[in-house]
Amino acid sequence: MNGQRHATLVAAATLALTLTPLIGVFAGLGWTVPVLMAITAVAVSGSLMRAAGRGQGLQTLAMVGSLLVIMTAGFNGGTAIALIIPTPATFSHWGELSGEGIQQIIVNSPPVPAEGGILFLTMLGVGVVAILHDMFVVGLRTPALAGLTLLTMYLVPVSVAPEATAWFWFILPAVAYLWILADDNLRRVSSFGHRFTGAGHLVGQHFPSPLARTARWSAAGFIAVTLLLLTVVPTNTSGLIDNVAEDFGGTENYSLGDVNPWAQLSGSLNRPEEVDVLRVTTTDPSPRYLRMHVLDELTDDGFGPNDYSGGDDADGLTGAGDDEQVFEAQIENLQMEAPVVPVYGDPVGLDIEGDWQIDEDTGVIVGDGSDMGDVDEYTVTYTEPVPATETLAGAAGMDPSDERWESNTDHPDVPELADTVAQATEGAGTVHEKVLAVLAYLSPANGFRYSLETTDAGNDQAILDFLETREGYCQQYAAAMAWMLREAGVAARVVIGMSQGSRDGDQWVLTSHDYHAWVEVYFDGPGWVPFDPTPASGVPGSVGFPWATEPDTDENEEVNEGDPSAEPSEAPTDGATAPTDASPGAEENPTDDPTALAGGDGGAGATRFNPAWLALLLLLALPLVPALWRAGIRRSRLGPGRLSALTAWDEATDLALDYGVAIAPSLTPRQAAGVLAHAAPGARDAATALGAAMAQQRYSPRGAAIGGLADAVRDLHSQLDKAAEPRRRYRAMFWPASLAVKLSARQAEQSADMARRTARTADRMRSAMRRARRSNSRRERSVTGRP
Amino acid sequence: MTFESSPAQPPQGPTPLSPQEFKATVEGILTNVEWVIEGKSHTIKLAIAVMLAEGHLLLEDVPGVGKTQLAKALARSVDCSVRRIQFTPDLLPSDVTGVSIFDPEKRDFVFKPGAIFGNLILGDEINRASPKTQSALLECMEERQVTVDGNTYKLRSPFMVIATQNPVEMEGTYPLPEAQRDRFTARLAIGYPDVNAELALLDRREEYNPLDALRPVADADMIVRMIAAARAVHLAPELKRYVVDLVTATRTNAQVRLGASPRATLQLLRCTQVLAAMDGRDFALPDDVQQLAVPVLAHRLIPTTETTMGGGDTKAIVSDILRHVPVVSNPGRF
Repeated sequence: MNGQRHATLVAAATLALTLTPLIGVFAGLGWTVPVLMAITAVAVSGSLMRAAGRGQGLQTLAMVGSLLVIMTAGFNGGTAIALIIPTPATFSHWGELSGEGIQQIIVNSPPVPAEGGILFLTMLGVGVVAILHDMFVVGLRTPALAGLTLLTMYLVPVSVAPEATAWFWFILPAVAYLWILADDNLRRVSSFGHRFTGAGHLVGQHFPSPLARTARWSAAGFIAVTLLLLTVVPTNTSGLIDNVAEDFGGTENYSLGDVNPWAQLSGSLNRPEEVDVLRVTTTDPSPRYLRMHVLDELTDDGFGPNDYSGGDDADGLTGAGDDEQVFEAQIENLQMEAPVVPVYGDPVGLDIEGDWQIDEDTGVIVGDGSDMGDVDEYTVTYTEPVPATETLAGAAGMDPSDERWESNTDHPDVPELADTVAQATEGAGTVHEKVLAVLAYLSPANGFRYSLETTDAGNDQAILDFLETREGYCQQYAAAMAWMLREAGVAARVVIGMSQGSRDGDQWVLTSHDYHAWVEVYFDGPGWVPFDPTPASGVPGSVGFPWATEPDTDENEEVNEGDPSAEPSEAPTDGATAPTDASPGAEENPTDDPTALAGGDGGAGATRFNPAWLALLLLLALPLVPALWRAGIRRSRLGPGRLSALTAWDEATDLALDYGVAIAPSLTPRQAAGVLAHAAPGARDAATALGAAMAQQRYSPRGAAIGGLADAVRDLHSQLDKAAEPRRRYRAMFWPASLAVKLSARQAEQSADMARRTARTADRMRSAMRRARRSNSRRERSVTGRP
Repeated sequence: MTFESSPAQPPQGPTPLSPQEFKATVEGILTNVEWVIEGKSHTIKLAIAVMLAEGHLLLEDVPGVGKTQLAKALARSVDCSVRRIQFTPDLLPSDVTGVSIFDPEKRDFVFKPGAIFGNLILGDEINRASPKTQSALLECMEERQVTVDGNTYKLRSPFMVIATQNPVEMEGTYPLPEAQRDRFTARLAIGYPDVNAELALLDRREEYNPLDALRPVADADMIVRMIAAARAVHLAPELKRYVVDLVTATRTNAQVRLGASPRATLQLLRCTQVLAAMDGRDFALPDDVQQLAVPVLAHRLIPTTETTMGGGDTKAIVSDILRHVPVVSNPGRF
């Protein structure tokens, strides 16, 4: 096999290795076949073109062509000629496929079935990367650049499937990259015919280079360090499709197509750019949250939406009672796509296009074939019941004989969680007390902190993790609260929707960052009552529910005082635990209080040490390391304990080296001092004194006095600095040549040592082989010569 | 002055000589000699150093540059016995060493000392004498004694041979064998004076020969004391190592067929000590070694045929070695 064909093979194999983390993104392994076909087609066509002696341009063309053909064969939609020749219709078909694929990427969470648009995009992407990769590795012989293509490939699974960041997924791509580098280097070196060590010793074809051990160790070390960093440095891998609910029940449980409310929630919150979703004009002076989904099915994998069973037509909403205040909201749909209608409180009337049904159990208005994407504007009339705190305090929970009891209190058996809940709700008797206990447990005063940099889903382990790390966002808060309440025997469910948003004149604007999750608890009488465990500081447009507090204010104070960790500065966190404290003004326009937000974040951040800052600090300090090291050497040489004519002279010669003044080792101290004086005319006396002291110290029986030597060195330093060009000056500062010499001297020593050892080993082996031959011949002679 | 069986007196009880005295005396001799040979102070200094190192000097230069003048001036500046031998092809070994003749009065053989029995021996045009005469001289130089008819006669101290040699004239000469060149501590060339020095030379010699006006500034005793003082100069281990490194380098150099001998090492160190003392120091520096390396080492090296044919000479080789041998053998004391 010639070198180029071998390199082609290596390129294809390494790319295939790098694709392994994609296993976590797709359901099943069916996607591997077309993807590997694309890689093979590219490799084979490129290799053939090279074998025919064609240049890089034709090679690339051939690879693109073969990719086109194989893509056409796979995705022609009946538009291709002879199945493999694309027509204009094929390309427009591909355009549709891409659009579909992008849509699927946005709404789906991994693992996704590998078919249709997604598979098309994957195959196309891999094919294009394969062409670039082949070009870098084989055509242009720039294997280091191939790291970019491998990185591109690796980033895709990492950005969508957080489990792809697990350390073992990193190893294969890293090994692939090292393979490319090693292979290319071997090819390069063996093209010279012989291999040499650093010290110029010849190494046999099959002997490992004496440097190989060092190389292997450093490669292993780099991988280890990288893996270590991956575990230490917090990474935000929640990308376009965060699979926050990837474990939830599997895809077959969805009744809403493939749309997962959790994915929509975290995907929206993590969107880097904020887009307006809804614009609301309402008669309600302070609207509450817009409900969209209700998640009341709790399994090992967390909360998931119930099978909306459907029910009455949404047009047939019952009107409000006479004594209730009715608000009307006109909602303009700017960007929302969902199979449910976001509505406030208890809707009493809905004016909307399409077919919508109200789910009996949850009150969610579900599209019967209709989607919000088709709705431009709708009007909802609703009431917002405000149950009195006292009523709730006295109300019982859901009656266990209720048919809904099962579905709203069911929870997996997790002993650790049970213990936590037992502790948290100790002494709480009524439902309301339990709710408040859980709210207090999840409050910032108890160390919980709002953070979007969390990707865990709501499954049991994730809930325990959240309770352990005490960092999360509304998803974790809501899931944890509902789960804890269920554990405590209270009927609770998670609601996903949108927060209040921000006021824009008479209207409210709700953006993609206003998606929110909270909890509803069932009280006998008032029914489902919303509670929001998430700290108000983390949620723009957060609403305080007046009933989420103790009925008696005295007790409320007692709770706050009783908490030793509560600090006076935590004003916003107080607002979260006892939202009644929030002034009406703040409630109307909560996002107008940036200081409160910042204070909340800062206060919470100060309590936790983020290792990323340390890493960043170290990274910033890295360029200063040589300078600091050099300064340390200087200080130790000129320090009062160690200073002698010899150390002063060492420092002087090192300074000369730093500033590019060549002092040959064959120069006597006087001559060297002359050279120094020539380089820094201002320091002639200092240099002469240093040289004379050095000569005296080394050659006279008496040694030299050290008086004034440190000053002479400093003088020499400043004069050399003055005489040097700016570039030389910076180099002397940040990358002193004397350090480099020290390091390379050490390295040269080791390399020579290693070469000697290898030579000895080779000698031993050769002589051992010779001995073996001799002994054979002796035996033959003894047999034949003396019968 | 009798020489019969009179061994040279051992050096008298050493009267400590201060570095200042040493320096002043050397400068006196230097000024004296410079009065005769203008603008050659470095060469003169080296010549004095060889004398104080108890060595012998080979002056090799074209005719007329003052080889003999230098030798004479040096001899005159020191108040001691000076003998001059003009080497000719018919000069016999006994002319150098001396001979036993029958004294009819005493009815015994009496030793008539040759020209070698002096403090300073000026051997002019040494390469004109036959090899056997040269050998006789060279034996005296090394052994500092003469053996005639089974009797050994010690030579005087200080004892120094200054030989001159003419490198251009080859006909009828017997060039010194390589091995015997080793006996000379240093080989110096004087070289042509520069324009100013030559003008000064003309002015000075208009009326009289400056050589005649020279007055001695030191005597033999003084020289002996100076020799003793120079031997006391401290030689640091690093310096000894440097000298050994230099000599070793001449032996391993690819351009050299025969390197310098251990005797060269010894003599280089002795001269180094003198040079240090002449500078008023009581310790030697590598700078001293570097000044001496070419004169002390170059004439002992035998270059390879390739080097000779390529126009290379041993002075260049030694200079090259000086440029490459580190002053401290392990400069990386990191």
